[in-house]
Amino acid sequence: MTTEEAEELLSIATETLGQVTRGQAEVIAVRQQQELTRFAGNVIHQNVAESSLQLRVRVIDDSRVGVAQVRGEVADGPLRVVQAAEQARSLSGRSDPSPLPSPDGVADSPAAYSVATTNTSPEDRAGIAAAVVDAATRQRLEAFGSVSTRTTRTAIVNSNGVRRHAASTQASVITVMRGRSGAGYAAGHSPDITGIDANAVGVEAADTCARNQDATAIDPGEYEVVLTPYAVTDMVEHLAWMGFSALAKQERRSFMHPGSRMMSETVSISDDPADPGSFPFPFDQEGVSSRRVVAIDHGVCAGFLYDTPSARRDGVASTGHSLPQPNTFGPYARHLVMDAGGASPDDLVAAVKRGLFVTRLWYVRDVHPLRTIITGMTREGTFLIENGKIGRAVRDLRFTQSIVDALNDVRGISRERKLALGEDESGVLTPWLHLGRFAFTS
Amino acid sequence: MSRLIVHQTHLLYSPAVRDLAERALDTAAAAGARYADCRVVNRSVQELTVKNGEVALVELNEDTGAGVRVIVDGAWGFAGIDRLDAAGIDDAAALAVRIARASARLHPEPVHLAPASPAQGAYRTPVERDPFAVSLEDKLDVLLRTDAAMSSVAGITVREASLEFVKEEKYFASTEGARIAQTILESGGGFDATATSDDEVQTRSFPNSFGRHQVCAGWEAIEQFDLPGNGQRIAEEAVALLTADLCPSGRMTVILDGTQAALQVHESCGHPTELDRVLGSEAAYAGMSFLTPDLLGTFAYGSDKVTMTADATRPGGLGTFGWDDEGVAAQRVVLVDRGLFSGYMSSRETAMAIGGESNGAMRADSWCRIPLIRMTNVNLEPGDSSLEEMIATTERGVFLETNRSWSIDDRRLNFQFGTQNGWEIADGKRVRLVRNALYRGVTPEFWRSCDAVAGPREWRMWGVVNCGKGEPAQVMHVGHGAAPCRFQNVQVEPAS
Repeated sequence: MTTEEAEELLSIATETLGQVTRGQAEVIAVRQQQELTRFAGNVIHQNVAESSLQLRVRVIDDSRVGVAQVRGEVADGPLRVVQAAEQARSLSGRSDPSPLPSPDGVADSPAAYSVATTNTSPEDRAGIAAAVVDAATRQRLEAFGSVSTRTTRTAIVNSNGVRRHAASTQASVITVMRGRSGAGYAAGHSPDITGIDANAVGVEAADTCARNQDATAIDPGEYEVVLTPYAVTDMVEHLAWMGFSALAKQERRSFMHPGSRMMSETVSISDDPADPGSFPFPFDQEGVSSRRVVAIDHGVCAGFLYDTPSARRDGVASTGHSLPQPNTFGPYARHLVMDAGGASPDDLVAAVKRGLFVTRLWYVRDVHPLRTIITGMTREGTFLIENGKIGRAVRDLRFTQSIVDALNDVRGISRERKLALGEDESGVLTPWLHLGRFAFTS
Repeated sequence: MSRLIVHQTHLLYSPAVRDLAERALDTAAAAGARYADCRVVNRSVQELTVKNGEVALVELNEDTGAGVRVIVDGAWGFAGIDRLDAAGIDDAAALAVRIARASARLHPEPVHLAPASPAQGAYRTPVERDPFAVSLEDKLDVLLRTDAAMSSVAGITVREASLEFVKEEKYFASTEGARIAQTILESGGGFDATATSDDEVQTRSFPNSFGRHQVCAGWEAIEQFDLPGNGQRIAEEAVALLTADLCPSGRMTVILDGTQAALQVHESCGHPTELDRVLGSEAAYAGMSFLTPDLLGTFAYGSDKVTMTADATRPGGLGTFGWDDEGVAAQRVVLVDRGLFSGYMSSRETAMAIGGESNGAMRADSWCRIPLIRMTNVNLEPGDSSLEEMIATTERGVFLETNRSWSIDDRRLNFQFGTQNGWEIADGKRVRLVRNALYRGVTPEFWRSCDAVAGPREWRMWGVVNCGKGEPAQVMHVGHGAAPCRFQNVQVEPAS
């Protein structure tokens, strides 16, 4: 983010804050540009770009809170959004609103930002798509997927003197390659589009696709599994949703029991907004500096994520994990990281006598959050492992499995990790895992 | 009653908006587009939430912008912009053309659109009482009374009630001559009551899960929901579920309530009959479909009790409109006719692949996103049974209410659903409340086992407000008319 761009967005936020006539207020200004080139059957079939400016105002006075949000650049936008927020506040009921945070004095650490990502042209994206398609056509496969770039500039100011701004970028190359009777998946994500090797993504998907042909059925049941980071990402994300939030703990719906060992000692999971392997970002949606929180420390439930309201209830400081306030969802993890182990992915496979190699999970949903039970399907690359070697392709299976139980029987963790996107499109950095038991139900 | 400042009215009737759309088309055509369309959209949303007796959120949102879609050199391009002035619209049109030219580098066969008569007209959701004309005080009063009703039940740890109102005004113009103004109004509301113990969390929702039930209607819909009048009953059910027995396990008869039947239709009929999925547009994301074109007109999707339609003309559904976002008139399409797979939802481009015309299912969730084939109101047409009759004629089974979890594979075959409430049925009677029910199956086998659907008296239009599809992701509001229905020999088990 150039200084001029930062000043312009801060200026808009400050101007908006200046329109507030009474009480305290917070303004979040977000300018976003997003581009996405989509291909199917080796052809670009959708190709889009969008840009917008969004202003969100929270006004607090007389124990009442009002919020308004406007997206769309109009001349009187700052005034309109403030008037709407003040109107919402005046008509709202009295409550015990969470106060606005004050400046925490922490200097902004760098956000994940790449000029190259911001400047990626439609022609560049078509070229990247062509590189993936080339990898498919070399093996007589069809490529489906997308090349996307996003630049987000955020400014947050409030009446207590909070004044934060950051620019971030996110780039992705995703593909599914389809052959005669099966498919393969691969993806690359980075703040920097030049950090993604489109050809390598294509080659990986083509390799998986080539091996995932003529899949045969296998009986449901419990199997040892080796999961790629694409699959581990889904597990870690759902685990966070089901229990890392302090609000979930306060409402007695979290599986986490502080101080209890619930998983294998090799399992450590944190939310680390500064990890350079993910998409670092320095502050949350209240302008509070985001800190690393270790949720699972060597298998032990260690900590919770806080925003200002949940921190106030527990008499602690916010960890900087707030969504836009007020909300009823609670603190949110956007930078999940699972610690690496010492093995290679091949080592993990070599340790399995009979089990399944799972490339990817699909349509994962919570079944019983307190027991961390999820269900979902395998997709685009499920293989039988026999005597330490990946063998024939097997048809996709449904699993219904407690994540805590699965992570309480970890036989191996790779040292190599991969950045994947969760369902909410936040970055999740995870290794390959070898698990002793995983329940496939149909 | 205070006028809500954030909501601009009569956007569509502004000559400036129409001029901008014309300018977008002219700019695109001059730059080489052989087809272009422009949508100018203003979307206003009111959200109100009461949690545990306090007003947790009063939020007023407004979203305004324009999207320009073009075909240049035989390929698609699209740009969305929120700067609604001449320079902004020129930029969007020029960018869309540039993007299309880039697409053409990897698009050897030109896009062809099925013919459509260029429509000119206006549509507005019929309402008895405009929800934006009802005061926020009255709306909060409904929520606070609902909260009070839940709070009368000991053992409830979290109470949350919410309302949402949407007004979407959009103007569509195309180089083929379409000029369409539409105003869509939605009203939604619902509540959740959560009870917890050391080893169990149980939530009951009303009228539907996912936070609320929503329809294209006015304030009268909220009054019909009667949220306060159901608060105590639903809260009592949540508490009772904490100590209820686990759902029985095995193959048995399953009866679904209307809300769960609606979601079953959504996942196992709605998505697989989207023709863009069938043709591979979503293969890298949402997946494809088991309902391939070679099965059209020959495949036994379900029993003869099963007729499903995609009906954008049915009043009250979240997929009810005048024209879709390509300017094609709202239609009723038979997807499954007495068990036989009979049709798809289509667009002008995909209709060419099966030799037909678009049946008007292209919808975008915003000005900044392209229209995709989306469900309109995908309905399970009413049968001739009733819930009471279905239970009375069931020897062993479960009656399942209100979705709790949902998952289906990427071809829409292998599914598993969980529900909040379950009632064990034995010898024609409800014998006990059961918790943590799951059922699973394979789509055609499941629908072929359907032996009863309740009649029009119990048929109701439900709303799904979280239907995801596309990249960048779009979240669409879709409707599903459904009634309780019964299935035989289904695998049931508890989540434990």
